[in-house]
Formats: sequence, structure tokens, C-alpha cells
Amino acid sequence: MLKAAVGSLGRWGLHKVCALGRSTIMLYHALIGKPDVRKHFPLLIAQIYFIGVQSVIIIIVSGLFIGMVLGLQGFNILKDFMATGSLGPLVALAIIRELGPVVTALLYAGRAGSALTAEIGQLKASEQLSSLEMMAVDPLRRIISPRFWAGFISMPLLSILFCLVGIYGGKLVGVDWLGLDDGIYWSGMQASVDLFDDIGSMLVKALVFAVACTWIALFNGYDCKPTSSGISAATTATVVQSSLAVLGLDFVLTALMF
Amino acid sequence: MSEQNLIEVAHVDFAYGERPIYRDLSLTIPRGKITALLGPSGTGKTTLLRLIGGQLRPDNGTILFDGINVHALKRGELYELRKRMSMLFQSGALFTDLSVFENVAFPLREHTKLPEVLIRDLVLMKLEAVGLRAAADFSPNELSGGMARRAALARSIALDPDLIMYDEPFVGQDPITMAVLVKLIADLNRSLGITSVIVTHDVAEVLSIAHQVYILADGHVIGGGSPQEVRESADPRVQQFINGDYDGPYAFNMQAAVPYMEDL
Repeated sequence: MLKAAVGSLGRWGLHKVCALGRSTIMLYHALIGKPDVRKHFPLLIAQIYFIGVQSVIIIIVSGLFIGMVLGLQGFNILKDFMATGSLGPLVALAIIRELGPVVTALLYAGRAGSALTAEIGQLKASEQLSSLEMMAVDPLRRIISPRFWAGFISMPLLSILFCLVGIYGGKLVGVDWLGLDDGIYWSGMQASVDLFDDIGSMLVKALVFAVACTWIALFNGYDCKPTSSGISAATTATVVQSSLAVLGLDFVLTALMF
Repeated sequence: MSEQNLIEVAHVDFAYGERPIYRDLSLTIPRGKITALLGPSGTGKTTLLRLIGGQLRPDNGTILFDGINVHALKRGELYELRKRMSMLFQSGALFTDLSVFENVAFPLREHTKLPEVLIRDLVLMKLEAVGLRAAADFSPNELSGGMARRAALARSIALDPDLIMYDEPFVGQDPITMAVLVKLIADLNRSLGITSVIVTHDVAEVLSIAHQVYILADGHVIGGGSPQEVRESADPRVQQFINGDYDGPYAFNMQAAVPYMEDL
């Protein structure tokens, strides 16, 4: 009984370590080597469109509502302390330091990450990846690499967009609805947000999350069982693993940077 | 390596995890001929094609393609070598997001720097060869199974390879499509001199065009030779397979751990 439990724990551990190794090899082969600009640039643009541009709506809507909720909650609490003048810094810092990159990454994992896994899993199940290989076209270079770079480029831009819209949402509620002075909202923000410390670390977080989420999504698709249940399990795994990775990494990065 | 063999498989062992597929498999595939690999389902015929293409690695033994050890190559060299071989997958494996024309043009665009006009002419020639020039602008999901396989065949001859490996080309096709595919394979072999390897269990079709036949079972070659020799083989296992007898050396019942009566 105990022996079996220890055995299955060991098997699970070995399995995870093997998967980590395979995923590192996948990423390594996808990213090394000289890119062929003529062939790879159009692929990259297409993926930025799919991963980045098509995520814009969900990012804007989420950012707006999160900013508005922050403005409303913040205003009501700050009011008790006669400190509504701090609403600008509160909204801006909360969004730039934490909510912006984290929520963007979670939305990205749900929208783009799951789609990437399902797409690559389907390419694998229908033997399209194998047929690329047999046509002497490396699927890692042609399929995985542009998607990885597209995620790496898109995520920081989406995070910036989220922050801008969120701050504007806070202003809509705090200033336009609840009557806080326009100048106080913006000047308080200007005084307390630091370009390097706050916006810089937001970008670092966004880049780290981009690597984690995209890597997880691509590997789960590439390594999935080529059956319909395999693809669905891989898609679920992508969302679960990405979300946990983002939250865990967020804590580590916050502890390191602030 | 003799000049007349394009592929030499020597003493190959291969297992999927614990499940052995090949034990000491050796065979040769002559240049410019059609070689058929026959055998019951699950004997790893497709696996052999993947071993030749370098997608799988044998546990032991060597596979030479034109004198080059496929599995000793570096990644880049392997991709270089694959430009000389192509494979027709069971499903066709056309790229679903590209039109039939773009599918056939894909290897040309990837591996050559030909001008667009020339690519167009080449693609139309390849499509004409499989009788699908009219379907150039179709999307793959508008094609029937047989047409998809023919379009995939056009794509796999786009770069004029030395070798085409057909993975179960006749599975699930109606008799007319089957006859069309048989004729196409024979014609391509004759006119382009492409070495062809056909993995199949459609015995009658393939015996009509193959120059050489291997019958694989139990992890190695159990019989082979010209279609005539195979038909006349005295080996009961070969005879069972060729004639499609439901019982014989290969039992109808899968081997079970306990006898039937004990299991009830």
C-alpha cells in the first residue's frame, strides 16, 4: 500500500520532470537558429493579429470594468477617511503594479492560450505537424516559434492597454460620476507613479507572464495525445497551469521587485 | 550498400515503451520500383515508414537512405535529407487553412525561390497529373476523401522526390477511387521513376502494381518476393493473409490470460 503510494508519487515526479525536459527542448529548437525574415515575418504578423489584436476587445472591456469597480470601491472607502484625493494613486498603483499584468495574463491564458493549445493539438491529431516534418519544414520553427514571439510581443502591449483603460475607468467613476476633482485625480497619480519602479516592473511582469503562458500553451498542444479527449485535456491543462503559474510568479516577482 | 537499393533496413529493433514492434527487422527497398509492405493491422507498418523518415528512432540497427544513415544525422541534416523523400499520410494531412492550390505550392514556396508564375504552372501541372486542376481553389474540407488523398499526392510530388511513402492509400475508398489511386501510383512510378513504398492491407490492389512485396508480422518479415512468389508461397501465415482466411496461424481469438470458461 505504502510502497504503491511512494511508487506512484515517484512516477508522477519522473513524468513531470520528463515533461519539463521535453518542453525545454521544444522551446530551444523553436528559438535557436537564424530566422528567415522573408518567410517568418508574415507568420509572426498573422500570429500577432490572432493572439494580440483579437484579444483587444476582451482586454478593453475587462480593464474598463476593473478600473470602474476599483474607482467605486476605493472612493467609498477613502471617503470615510476624507482621503478621496488619493483615489488616483490607488487606482493607478493597484492596476499598474498588480491587476494590469496579472488579469491580462489570466485573460490571455483563457482566450489565446487555450486556442493555441487546441489549434496545435488539432494540427498534431490531423497529422499536419508530421506532414510538415516530412516536407522538411521544421514545425517548431514554422508553427511554434512565431506563436511564441507573438505572445512575447503582444502581452506587454495588452498589459499597457489594460492599465490605460483601467485608469480611465477609475476616472469615469471617481471624477465623472462621484464628482472628485479632475486635477486631483490626475496630479496625485502623476506624483506617485514612478516610471522605472512601477511601469518598469509592470512590463517585467508582463514579459515573464508572456513567456510562461505561451510556453505552457504551446507545449501542451505539441505534447498532447492526438485524440479529441487528449486535446480537451491539454486545453484544460493549459488554462489551469497558466493561471497557477501566473499567480505564483506574480508573488515571486512582487517579492523581488517591491 | 548496393547501387540498386534506395533503402536498406538492417537488424532494426523498435518498441513503443514496453510494447515491442520490431525484432531484428531487415529488408531492402529497390530504387525506382514499387515495394509493398503488407501485414495485419497493428504490426507497425506505418511505424516503419516513420522510422525511415527519421520521425522515430530505432532502439537498435540502422536504416540507410541512399547510403546515408538516417538516424546518425544532425537535426538540420535530417531536414535536408527529407527534401528527397515524401510521405502520403492516411488522412492526406492537407493544411486545412490553405486552399488546394496553396497546399501544393507550399513545399515549392518553402524550399525553392521560384518566381510566382513558375510556381503557378508547376502546381497546375501537379494537380493535372492527379486530375484535380479544377479543384485548385477548393478548400480541403470541400474535397471528398479520395480527392483529398489525390491532392495530398500532388503535394508530395511537388518537389520531385526520390521516394514516396504511401501510408494506407486505399483505406476507406470506393472501388472507383481505389482504381484511380492504383493507376496514379503506378503511373507516377513509371513516368517519374520515383521509388514507391506502399503500406497497405488491400492485397489485391497492391499485388497488381507492386514489383516487390514484403509481408510483415510478429515484428519481422515473414515472407516476400515478387507478387507471383508471394501468391505461391507455401508459408501458411502468408497464405492466410493473402487469401483473407478468418482463422489460421493467426488465430481469430486474441490471446487471453485465462481460458474462456474460467473467465465467465
